[in-house]
Amino acid sequence: MLKELEELQRQAEAELSSAKTEGEFLAVRTRYLGRKGLLTRLLRNIGNVEEEKRPLFGMRCNEIKEAISGKIDTALAKLASLRREEVLLRDKVDVTLPGRTHRYGRVHPITRVRQEICSIFAGLGFSVVEGPEVELDYYNFEALNIPKDHPARDMQDTFYIEDNIVLRTHTSPVQIRVMEKQRPPVRILSPGRVYRPDSDISHTPMFHQIEGLLVDKGITFADLKGVLTSFLKQLFGEDTALRFRPSFFPFTEPSAEVDIRCVMCSGSGCRVCGQSGWLEILGSGMVDPEVFKNVAYDPEEVTGFAFGLGLERIAMLKFGISDIRLFFENDRRFLEQF
Amino acid sequence: MLVSWKWLKDFVDIRLTPEELVDRLTMAGLEVESLQENVPSFTGVVVSKILSVRPHPGADKCFICEVTTGDAKYPVVCSAGNIRPGNVVPLAKVGATIPGGYTIRTSKIKGEVSEGMLCSEEELGIGSDASGVMILSEHLSPGADLASALDLKDVVLDIGITPNRADCLSIAGIAREIAAITGSPFSYPRISLPERGEDIHGITSVDILDPDLCPRYSARVIKNVTIAPSPLWLRRRLEAVGMRAINNVVDITNYVMMELGQPLHAFDHRFLEEGRIVVRRSRAEEKFTSLDEKERVLRPDTIMICDGVKPVAIGGVMGGLNSEVKEDTETILLESAYFDPSSIRKSAKWLGMNTDAAFRFGRGVDPEGVIRALDRAAQLMAEIAGGTVCKGHIDQYPKKVETAGRIPLRIERVNDILGTRIGEAEITETLKRIGMLIEKEQEGHYRVTPPTYRVDITREIDLIEEVARLHGYDCIPVTIPPVSVKPVIRDSREVAKDRIREILRGSGYSEVITYSFISPSAVDCLLLRADDARRNLVKIENPLTEDQAVMRTTLIYSLLETMKKNANVGCTDLKVFEIGRVFFQRREGELPCEKEQLGCLLTGMRSDHLWSSKTYADFFDLKGCVENIFDSLKISEIRFMHDYRETFLHPGKSCGIFIGDQPVGYAGEVHPDVLVKMDLKNRAYVLEIDLELLLRNFKDVTLYRELPRFPMVLRDVAFVVDEGLHAAGVIDLAMSAGKELLENVSVFDIYSGKSVPHGRKSLGLRFTYRASDRTLTDDEVNVLHNKIVKSVVEKTGAKIRGEEH
Ligand SMILES: [Zn+2]
Repeated sequence: MLKELEELQRQAEAELSSAKTEGEFLAVRTRYLGRKGLLTRLLRNIGNVEEEKRPLFGMRCNEIKEAISGKIDTALAKLASLRREEVLLRDKVDVTLPGRTHRYGRVHPITRVRQEICSIFAGLGFSVVEGPEVELDYYNFEALNIPKDHPARDMQDTFYIEDNIVLRTHTSPVQIRVMEKQRPPVRILSPGRVYRPDSDISHTPMFHQIEGLLVDKGITFADLKGVLTSFLKQLFGEDTALRFRPSFFPFTEPSAEVDIRCVMCSGSGCRVCGQSGWLEILGSGMVDPEVFKNVAYDPEEVTGFAFGLGLERIAMLKFGISDIRLFFENDRRFLEQF
Repeated sequence: MLVSWKWLKDFVDIRLTPEELVDRLTMAGLEVESLQENVPSFTGVVVSKILSVRPHPGADKCFICEVTTGDAKYPVVCSAGNIRPGNVVPLAKVGATIPGGYTIRTSKIKGEVSEGMLCSEEELGIGSDASGVMILSEHLSPGADLASALDLKDVVLDIGITPNRADCLSIAGIAREIAAITGSPFSYPRISLPERGEDIHGITSVDILDPDLCPRYSARVIKNVTIAPSPLWLRRRLEAVGMRAINNVVDITNYVMMELGQPLHAFDHRFLEEGRIVVRRSRAEEKFTSLDEKERVLRPDTIMICDGVKPVAIGGVMGGLNSEVKEDTETILLESAYFDPSSIRKSAKWLGMNTDAAFRFGRGVDPEGVIRALDRAAQLMAEIAGGTVCKGHIDQYPKKVETAGRIPLRIERVNDILGTRIGEAEITETLKRIGMLIEKEQEGHYRVTPPTYRVDITREIDLIEEVARLHGYDCIPVTIPPVSVKPVIRDSREVAKDRIREILRGSGYSEVITYSFISPSAVDCLLLRADDARRNLVKIENPLTEDQAVMRTTLIYSLLETMKKNANVGCTDLKVFEIGRVFFQRREGELPCEKEQLGCLLTGMRSDHLWSSKTYADFFDLKGCVENIFDSLKISEIRFMHDYRETFLHPGKSCGIFIGDQPVGYAGEVHPDVLVKMDLKNRAYVLEIDLELLLRNFKDVTLYRELPRFPMVLRDVAFVVDEGLHAAGVIDLAMSAGKELLENVSVFDIYSGKSVPHGRKSLGLRFTYRASDRTLTDDEVNVLHNKIVKSVVEKTGAKIRGEEH
């Protein structure tokens, strides 16, 4: 009988391993474990087994029953899961199709650069002020120590509205407007549009500048170097090499042009930096005593420095743009790169 | 300004490489913009001597020359007629290359072998003379490399001279600066002047009638000059610094101007009536024909150089046609003067003649350098043009030109401004190096007198700058000033503008920046009425183009142009916005009114994915974006009013945007007529909002409201109403009837067509009921809801859909 039992198990397992469909598995179950199944029948005939072998026989019967039953359950579960997947796969999407969303818009690269610069200077205690874009000759030139017919006027061609009204050629007039209204100390930053009649690959008749001004007791040229060094390292990276070299602006003295190591060639010389290895980034200087006198500040009492930079230039360097006119053509294919 | 290395070395010994010099000059404030090596564009050309010349038996105009290079002899066929045995000439040997990409080979010309080529200046690219073979100095030894024999190699620096550094507008000026930077000595060229024959006072005289315009005028007379081309070295120097050679006399005046910075003028003395010079201011409406053969009307107060009768030059700007040096000129009256810089600048600007002379006079020449330049030019005219320099010179100097002197300087102040601790000795030594005269008054206090050519230095701060510059900006420490205690409060306007940018970005709008100036025809394009304030345009006097001739009074035109540009490159779907100013003309002499505006434009498909929904954006996409903005700025009193009309918007699909009763902008579809005028094909939706007004209502405060604790009850109902009835009106009615238990009414459906009578529409509204203190019962809601619906029906004549019959 025991032998018969082992034979039955071998037989059942052979059938299970060849079964594929749910029906076949269920048939195996009925054949062996059903009410009239082979194993059930054997178990029912336990009385025919010798008395002392009965417990062992019963135990084996149950073991075999559980083994077969377990295998069938597992196989059926696997089949069911396969069938479900098959059903779900009938509802398949093409994942390579583009996603459905409202595309987000872009901030203009000039705005991006402006925001970055303003936030750097906010950390240094500078607050943002704005001034008119159409400006009196007085604020744009005269109060900045650029009298009529002064050679320095050659430095900037100007759009005129009337004899004494111009489109501001720089953001520097905001310095004067602020100092006229506010007693020192002053720490301001003034971004905005400026205008000069020039148009080619490196000039547009409208562009953007940021002006900065710091006036207080005991401000020195060394402070100018410190603040601008800190700013440029934050903007272009801690390793950026820079140099301050003498220059001329009518409203600052001493004046300094600030260069950074060319970001394109790292100083070995290329087309962008005119082979010099350096890029002119901003103009700066100690506020000229003449300017202080124009706003009734006492130059013996306070000193200060001012600086100005062109946003397009910074954006061109940061993003590798070679034609300034692109900023104002507003081609969607350009805008969407930022 | 272009500067020749070789020329500089006449004045100063430079012990630096050109690259080192570039760096030193740049770091001292003379920015070197470029450095160019001038090397001859030929190779294999040597000095040779002609041994014999005989006619070519087979060719009429050719000669067969035998030339020697010392160690070898060559037969060369040549067609130039200017060569004689004994001449020293350039020989391009077989294998030599000359400009134009030619390589010299052995050739046979009509049966005669030619082993090389005798070249003209022009063929070698070293001058413009193409008239014959270049005849070299007899002192050159045959066989020598021509480039080194003629010392043709040079380095040319292009230096950007800032407007304050008038003293650097000359070779000598730059050399002086190099001497100061490097410590090498500087010296002017030695002038030896052989004066012969007549005294100048017997020949001419100078009268200055207006010394305010012309404080100093000096002159010399040079007789017996022979007008001819200048020698090669002079021409090459002029060309190196960007000047064109004309003839020896004119070239000498230019040469001395470039060398010393003092412009000069040479008159042909025979054309000066009464043989004398009178300097005066121009008369009203005076006319004059300058050297460039143009007749010009002069501004009052122009400096006129006249003879005894008539003007012969515009002082300091340009000579006259009537007295210019000609081929047969023999006697030169040479002028070296000091003119009032401001007057020169005005005249040059008025005349549009920014000549090299006017540029230098306008910036200010050295009033004490006048005679040196006069003598230098006279010397060169004797040496080069064979002239006889008459005895003596005239120097009318009726009005001393004031230059700054005895400027107070405090050592402490220098260090206070610079943030340095430069010692007293270094400061005084530095100033002495650039020619300053130093007097000590007391400890730490000095008086400084700059040289007369440093017209830019008049104040203590100017001296401090010189110290800083020569001490080296690199050597000044780097410090950070203490940050003020006062915290930086971000301007709420900036905050609001950045928030608007953020919202619009999230809604898919990209920021554009367009020019603030537009075409004056824009206001017609937008069909603005004659009395529209936006026709008060601010006009630019000198626009670059007519398209940019006025300041804009609306952003819409610029946005429509942006749409057009994009459509032209195939981008017909566009969502853009701009934050920028508009400008309104006020009274003359007053600044215009500037307002900051927000403008948006939407056109094309609602979304980019063609494969999915293919719907075009419409008015409500734009309106949704306005609502988002207001929501983010916490402005709740927004209203959209249909009876607000913009001429450039579709009358049926546009509205005014109000905060309370205050109009702040508009939104709508662009009028089809405007699209036609602007040659646009697709519908576009625009809005413009006055940011000043918007931001005035901006509240940068967020207050949390408790979440509701009891459930809401919903009731939907569809009213059939007149097509013209506004949804907002019906909702307002319902809300006012509903009191506090009606939380909200929203539109869930709009339908007209089948099953709705013509001229009517079905307006589906969803009512949300909620009490703050209990759960509402169905009965309670039903009673209230029926009351509200009844009230709406009574007031609007609406029918309830499904109950129409
Ligand atoms: Zn580079």
